[in-house]
Parts: sequence; structure tokens; C-alpha cells
Amino acid sequence: MDRWRLIPYHKFSAFENMAIDEAIFRGNQLGQSPPTLRFYGWDPPALSVGYFQDVDQEVDVGYCRKNRVDIVRRPTGGKAVFHDRELTYSFISSEKQGPFTPGVLGTYLVISRCILKGIAGLGIAAEVAQDSPSVERVNTAHCFSFPSRYEILIAGKKVCGSAQTRANGAFLQHGSLLLCFDPAKALCAIRDRRGRVTEDTLREAVTYLGAYLPEGQTDPEYLSGVLKAGFEDILRVEFVEGRLTPEEEALRDKLLTDKYLSGQWNREGRVPAKDRIS
Amino acid sequence: MFRMMVFPDDLLYSREHTWARVDGNLVTVGLTDYGQAKLGEILNIDLPEVDTYVEQDEPFGTIESAATVTELISPVSGDVVRVNDDIADDVGIINSDPYDTGWMIVVEMTDASELDNLLDSSEYNDYVLGEEGLD
Repeated sequence: MDRWRLIPYHKFSAFENMAIDEAIFRGNQLGQSPPTLRFYGWDPPALSVGYFQDVDQEVDVGYCRKNRVDIVRRPTGGKAVFHDRELTYSFISSEKQGPFTPGVLGTYLVISRCILKGIAGLGIAAEVAQDSPSVERVNTAHCFSFPSRYEILIAGKKVCGSAQTRANGAFLQHGSLLLCFDPAKALCAIRDRRGRVTEDTLREAVTYLGAYLPEGQTDPEYLSGVLKAGFEDILRVEFVEGRLTPEEEALRDKLLTDKYLSGQWNREGRVPAKDRIS
Repeated sequence: MFRMMVFPDDLLYSREHTWARVDGNLVTVGLTDYGQAKLGEILNIDLPEVDTYVEQDEPFGTIESAATVTELISPVSGDVVRVNDDIADDVGIINSDPYDTGWMIVVEMTDASELDNLLDSSEYNDYVLGEEGLD
């Protein structure tokens, strides 16, 4: 049985989290980093936006600043996520490793099956969304306002939102599994110019694990162990606890300084030319 | 995912699923039928501006589908002399018409010998079959 790397749950700032994920992703593209599953949380709470999102149009920057909510741009696609009480995973691998196939949707399906298996271990029946959302539905700023194809639902409501980036035969997928959800907070931080996303529509569209678990079982470290077992079962590999290599740590630090702490990247989606990392 | 794909004989192909239509030293670039199918429904694209220098096997833009960001890789090196601004308003044409109205950029090639690194349609077809594990 193959042994892949597990980086255990820890809380970091939004900027550190994105720098760590990208450092592993770049290392994997170079054949230097193994397939890696990482679990993490966000301290302080943060708002992440997708690669193509317009922060000025889709985020209430004033609210975030006033409430000390960090804003970070992800290297992945998708819509804005307010990260507070959740368990976040990232998975980095070659496109051709294990059961993965070159297609984007196929990757989502394999990882969703892993998470589904983990959730089933908690006695919760979840399912994979089968339909692709219409362009009209996708045209909102909120990740959790609609389920994408192969995302995870409980009782028909979205509980986990995921996004990917791919380069040089490798992929990075990360996603947020909600442990608790406050639609009012999410609405304060994310702008919906069309006014279609309200507290009521979010309550109808979104659920969270805490609603199905006894008190005390929403501890992210405990849940990351449950999810790890789901990944091992579906991927038929063993995840062995590890840490970043010195090369990954150096790249994380460089990405943190030159990209994720840069206002230009987070606001405009551009890295200053002098700081580009090839 | 694999279905019968179209790879026109008059184009050259990169292993990163971009095509090149060569006309003298001008090379029109787009995403192959396999490339667009692999990504699924395309939602956003970011292309370079005219006069940007692009390099063979290096990214010239990014594209988003299904919450996934993928780099677009240039099949040749040179200056971008035209950009298809129409696709920014209707990215769906990359899925529906990848070889014609879905073209992305025109590059004024600086080194014609780079074309030797590209695949013809038969070689690309074999490459795609290999990627899908169908060879």
C-alpha cells in the first residue's frame, strides 16, 4: 500500500494557509513533494475569494477591516467563502496518481467520495450533487449559495465547498467543511449586488456538520481523523503524518512575503513583476 | 470522459492541450477540443495584452471552469500581436467552437524551430489516448 503524507490539523492565518497550500502544490509539480492531505483552520476568521473574483465589487472591505476579518485571494477558482468555524482540507497530487484522471470533474468526484466516506463514519448520510448549476446561479459572489456538480450535500443542502487549481500535471484542491454556519456574518462580508442571496436563501441552501452531531463532536482535530480514514479507504493508501520539507518552508515564506501578504495580489489578483516566483 | 475528439490536420499541438495554426511567422493559439472537454464549462479567462512576450511551454493566461483555475501554456515564443477580446464576453465559445471563433491569441513567432517540439494531429491523438490510459 502506498504511503502518502498527512499534515495534521493546525490553525494559521489566511495568508499562511494559502502560502502553505501553494508551496506544496509547486513542490509536487517539480516532483519534490509527495501527494499530501492537509487539514487546517483559520485564525483569525477570514474571507477568501476565488482567483477571478473582483474584491472591490464582491467583498465589503470596510466590514472586514472593521471586524478584523482578513481577506485573501486563493490560487483556486470559485466564489467567496467566509472561514470561521469549519474544517478545511487541501489535497495535492499529480493528475495521474492513484485513481485520479486528467479531467477536472473526475477529481472532484474522487475527493467527494473520500469526504463522503468520512462523514458516513459519523453516522451521517450525505450525497454528491449530480447536477451542474446554471450560469445564472453561478453568477453570485457566495460559494455556499449553490452546490456545484459533485459537491457534498446533507439533506439536499451544501455542507462543503471546494475549488481547484491545476498546473504542470498536478492539482491542488481545497475545501471548507462547515462545522457551524452564520448566514448573517457571511452576508455582511460578501456583497451580492443583485440582492438575490439573503439569510433565508442561505439557510435553505446551506447546512453544517454541527447540526447533525452531539455537542463536543465538532472538534476539528477529531473530525480530521475521521476524514483521513475516509481518504485512506477510498484512495487505498496510508496517510503518514509528516511536516513541510525545508524547501517547502522556504517557498512558503517567499510566497507569504511576495504574494499572499501583498495587497496587489489580494485586491487585484496580480503579483508585482519584481516579486514573481517562477 | 473520453469521446471522439476532433484534432484538425492543419494544426500543430502542444502536450499542454493548446493548438497552433501557423501562417508564416504568425501563430494563432487556442485550446484543443480535448483541452476544453477536460476542463468542462468555461466561466472566466485572463489573456495577455498585445505586445506581451510569451515563451514556449510557459503560461500566457489562465482559465476558470468548475471552480478550477488552469494555466494556458503557449506552444511558441514571441510577441502577442492580437488578442481575441470577443471571448471575454462569451467564454462559452471556447467550449463550443475551440478551433475557430474560440481562438485566443496570435503570436509573432521568434524561433520557428520551436515548431519541431509540437505534435501533428496523429501524434496528438495518440498522446491524448495515453493520457486517458487508452493507449
